[in-house]
Amino acid sequence: MAGTCTSTSPRLALHGLPLGWRAMSEPTDAPTPAETEEERTLRFERDALPYLDQLYSAAMRMTRNPADAEDLVQETFAKAYAAFHQFKEGTNLKAWLYRILTNTFINSYRKKQREPQQSMTEDVEDWQLARAESHTSSGLKSAEVEALDHLADSDVKEALAQLPEDFRLAVYLADVEGFPYKDIAEIMDTPIGTVMSRLHRGRRQLRSLLADYARERGMKVETGAVT
Amino acid sequence: MSCGDPHDKDCAEALARMVFFIDNELADADASTIQKHLDDCAPCVDVYALERAVKALVARSCAMHAPDELRERVLLRIREVRVTYTEEA
Repeated sequence: MAGTCTSTSPRLALHGLPLGWRAMSEPTDAPTPAETEEERTLRFERDALPYLDQLYSAAMRMTRNPADAEDLVQETFAKAYAAFHQFKEGTNLKAWLYRILTNTFINSYRKKQREPQQSMTEDVEDWQLARAESHTSSGLKSAEVEALDHLADSDVKEALAQLPEDFRLAVYLADVEGFPYKDIAEIMDTPIGTVMSRLHRGRRQLRSLLADYARERGMKVETGAVT
Repeated sequence: MSCGDPHDKDCAEALARMVFFIDNELADADASTIQKHLDDCAPCVDVYALERAVKALVARSCAMHAPDELRERVLLRIREVRVTYTEEA
């Protein structure tokens, strides 16, 4: 029976699904009438599969190794397909897929990797401190902007990998995927103030790390007062 | 360093909102206020250019292609899920 497959197969480990996904997956008042299993599969392959490269890129930044990234992406697509009848066509499919990816990562891989969790407090006041920053507090000077362009992709990935996980994710979602703050808040299941705090701290650390890399590569980089 | 007496206050406001400007989180009116300020404040342009450059660098460096065999495995996995569902239904 198409459209009513709500029972959970034990094989699918559906516990990680983002059922609290707000506006993006509100149940439709009138479910797409009589969409066959075949039609839904084709629609999924047509609409969701094109995000494979993007989700893999994100999974690589999350897990930091190809084997885990591939498993994570596979699991994400399996869960997304199983829940696809809940997805409201015309809403933000990309954000919905990223939410499942993030959720799956947190539930499966973060535990496995046992990365020491940062115990930093992330209060809103932190990013508001940015207001006190002056022109010179960014860690790099404008003359070095050009030097950044010469950094290898691998340097940037290494620098990103050193950020605490939540900071890394927020920076990735904002800067690589260009998600608005409100989408990042939904994807990471966190208040928008926390998103801003993570972005602020993550970028500040990233600038400082990139300055280090540029210096190691023999580029003349003078850091400003990194706060 | 501040960029001088004439618009210290403008700089403070522009810098406080720079991140929202760069992240495209401002309403049009607010964005054009910052844009106007950037048109005649070189020190703030430097901050803008740097933050913009780091954002662009991250975007540039992270794009990857998924391995071909991953695409195949995903398609296979979808079929598996489908078979399970069909059996249950």
